Amino acid sequence: MKTVFVRPELCIGCRHCEIACAIEHSESKTLFDAILEEPVSKPRIFVEPVIDYLSFPNKCRHCDPAPCMQVCPTEALFRDKETGIVAINYLRCIACGMCAIACPFGIIRFEKVKQTGNDREVNAKCDNCISRQKEGNIPACAEACKTGALEFGDVNDLIRVSRKDFSMRIIKSQGTDVEVPKIPDNIRAFRAIMKAIAETGEKVV
Amino acid sequence: MITMYDTLKAKKIAEERALDPTDQEMIVKAIDDGIETAWDRLASQQPQCGFGQLGVCCNRCTMGPCRIEPFGKKPDRGVCGATADLIVARNMLDDLATGAAAHSDHGREILEVLLETAEGKSQGYEITDEEKLHLIAKEYGITTEGRSKNEIAEGVARGMLEEYGTLKNRIQLLERAPEKTKKIWKDAGIWPRGVDREIVEAMHRIHMGVGADYLNILLHAMRTSLSDGWGGSMMATECSDILFGTPTPVESWANLAVLSKDMVNVVLHGHNPVLSEMIVKAAEDPELKKLAEKNGAKGINLVGMCCTGNELLMRHGIPIAGNMLDQELAIATGSVEVMVIDYQCIFPSITHTAGCYHTKVISTSNKSKVQGAEYHEFQPRTGLETAKKIIRIAIENFPNRDQARVRIPAKPMKLMAGFSEEAIRKALGGTYKPLIDAIVAGKIKGAVGIVGCNNPKIKHDYGHITLARELIKRNILVVETGCAAIASGKAGLLLPEAADQAGDGLKAVCNSLGIPPVLHMGSCVDCSRILVLAANIAKELGVGIEDLPLGGAAPEWYSQKAVSIGTYFVSSGVYTVLGVPPKIFGSQNVIDLLTVKLKDVVNATFAVEPDPVKAADLLEAEIDRKRAALGI
Repeated sequence: MKTVFVRPELCIGCRHCEIACAIEHSESKTLFDAILEEPVSKPRIFVEPVIDYLSFPNKCRHCDPAPCMQVCPTEALFRDKETGIVAINYLRCIACGMCAIACPFGIIRFEKVKQTGNDREVNAKCDNCISRQKEGNIPACAEACKTGALEFGDVNDLIRVSRKDFSMRIIKSQGTDVEVPKIPDNIRAFRAIMKAIAETGEKVV
Repeated sequence: MITMYDTLKAKKIAEERALDPTDQEMIVKAIDDGIETAWDRLASQQPQCGFGQLGVCCNRCTMGPCRIEPFGKKPDRGVCGATADLIVARNMLDDLATGAAAHSDHGREILEVLLETAEGKSQGYEITDEEKLHLIAKEYGITTEGRSKNEIAEGVARGMLEEYGTLKNRIQLLERAPEKTKKIWKDAGIWPRGVDREIVEAMHRIHMGVGADYLNILLHAMRTSLSDGWGGSMMATECSDILFGTPTPVESWANLAVLSKDMVNVVLHGHNPVLSEMIVKAAEDPELKKLAEKNGAKGINLVGMCCTGNELLMRHGIPIAGNMLDQELAIATGSVEVMVIDYQCIFPSITHTAGCYHTKVISTSNKSKVQGAEYHEFQPRTGLETAKKIIRIAIENFPNRDQARVRIPAKPMKLMAGFSEEAIRKALGGTYKPLIDAIVAGKIKGAVGIVGCNNPKIKHDYGHITLARELIKRNILVVETGCAAIASGKAGLLLPEAADQAGDGLKAVCNSLGIPPVLHMGSCVDCSRILVLAANIAKELGVGIEDLPLGGAAPEWYSQKAVSIGTYFVSSGVYTVLGVPPKIFGSQNVIDLLTVKLKDVVNATFAVEPDPVKAADLLEAEIDRKRAALGI
């Protein structure tokens, strides 16, 4: 099973993924034209801030079985057999919102999209860049991510890396042979400061 | 933007955002009125880009924009080949040069007004402090004997203006530093050669394919900062004193309650005092006073904001409404007829805020026009006329005030300001000996300059006030400028009575001199007063500034000017703790240089510590280190 795997510790909140996603789902697929289109294309991945300024890129996990698909009364949501993606037929969507109620991750948004040809707001969730994948490319968000917070690949391979690293650390404690890079000291220091700022702000004197 | 009418929730938000109760009250009103403030905009900016925060984003040329992967993977170089070290250093120099330019260009304008005044071409201005004029003329080697004050002032103004683009490769005011400190600058190759030159050269050095050595770039950053602190900023301070008078202790009031319910409120916001000084004069015009009454007002109420406010407070005791994060709250009182802006730290959205009330924003500098503001250009030749025109606009706007929407906090806080270096020396009896004796005896452990801005990332004033209280408790004298000083004014720390919050040693010294434990030394260009104070004490002891038990802190800084101030503090030998991280954490080498290795060069470093209590620990440890080295 292929997926966009999230390593939240590597997310630095730059929101490149959001921009790349919006461009990919625009008519022109170029930044400078996309911002002028009507309806303007919106990101389908959400870099959510957390209290100490850490962030998490939240998006459709393409569940199987998918709760959204199960409750969709018009079969607007369907599974693409070849890729396993939970895809959407915008013309069938009646904007009833059932999918959003069922979604465990809260990532469904209703937006105007070019495909309907009208002003209706429909489920405009992540389609895992189905057209890019069929052309042999990885999803735009994972391609845009420069820190490796979003990685596209076989989920078991990606998990294996974390598992192996964990095992290695158990055996060699501070071992250096890890595949997921250790957080460098400077980044660790920066995050400690940002955490302190967040906590300082919360204090009521 | 938060729009809500749940007062309890709004109160809780206000308590999280600001320390001062009057600020909290106005934050609640702003929320109730649906006014967008910097806190709302910070929330809607989350998450902020990590590449930018770490300083590893380079957007200088069109091969880019580039960014370095901060976790040790690719890309580890920009298209041009720049590493994280280089990109961080270039960005820092860029920020610092912007800040130095802001200070020094402010200085240039003061000098231009001094020159035009000396030539008899300005309107409303005069040479006020002749004693200082003579002292500085002597420093610049300008003959005073048998010459009129205007002739001498012309010489001083031209002498200083010449140093902006000088060919002689030196700035006279740097000679005020102790010999030992000057030698450090010369040995390290950071002796500035002119005010503008270092800024221009900084711009050159950050171009692609010029400097590729982060260390060399940061040394130039230090040189540029010295050309600000000991150059442009110091000139701004000294010549403002010559024109408008050197500050002496003065009593006044602080916080948003200084706005008046029944008078015409004019808020003077920004940094340069040249026009505001004329507005102070214009407000005394009997005809305008009569006009105010005719329009139903009980008079004209001038209040300051940010460093223009500090300049007017220091010299005239004009009450101060607040610091940087108070600018929107002042308008949200619904009571401001006119906000006059000159430049720096004025939110570009200020006219948007004013648009929700009857408030008119009047911009006065052709460097800082703002859309939606009325523009009345300040010129020295017509300064007083322009000032009168602005007061008239404010008076005529008074009937438009919707009293039903006005809410002003009840109680202003009393304060004492006006502690120029000269005033402090005078309070000590004309010499630093009593202060030095108190430091040697351990009654006062040392001194810390708390300076810098507000930043909505830090609870408004919390960083400043918590640190100041911690330090005075530990018998460390605090001197302040800028937003930090205004914060202390609001919190009651600028009162002689605040000595009760100090440790026994400092308390006794303050009580015997009748001074507060936290001394307001002026605006942010007046950080130069702190340098002069330190230099004079060092010279009296026969040591360098870097040997003194001093520290600096910028607990809530946001601006590029603060980058320059922090760097000239450290370059002058003063350990400086920042409450908000500078954009350098993408480079371990730059962190090491600024927080460790600089100690071997200038006997001072930077530190970053957002928790003000821990920051006080760091500052106390540094003061102890320097005391031990002095053998006291």
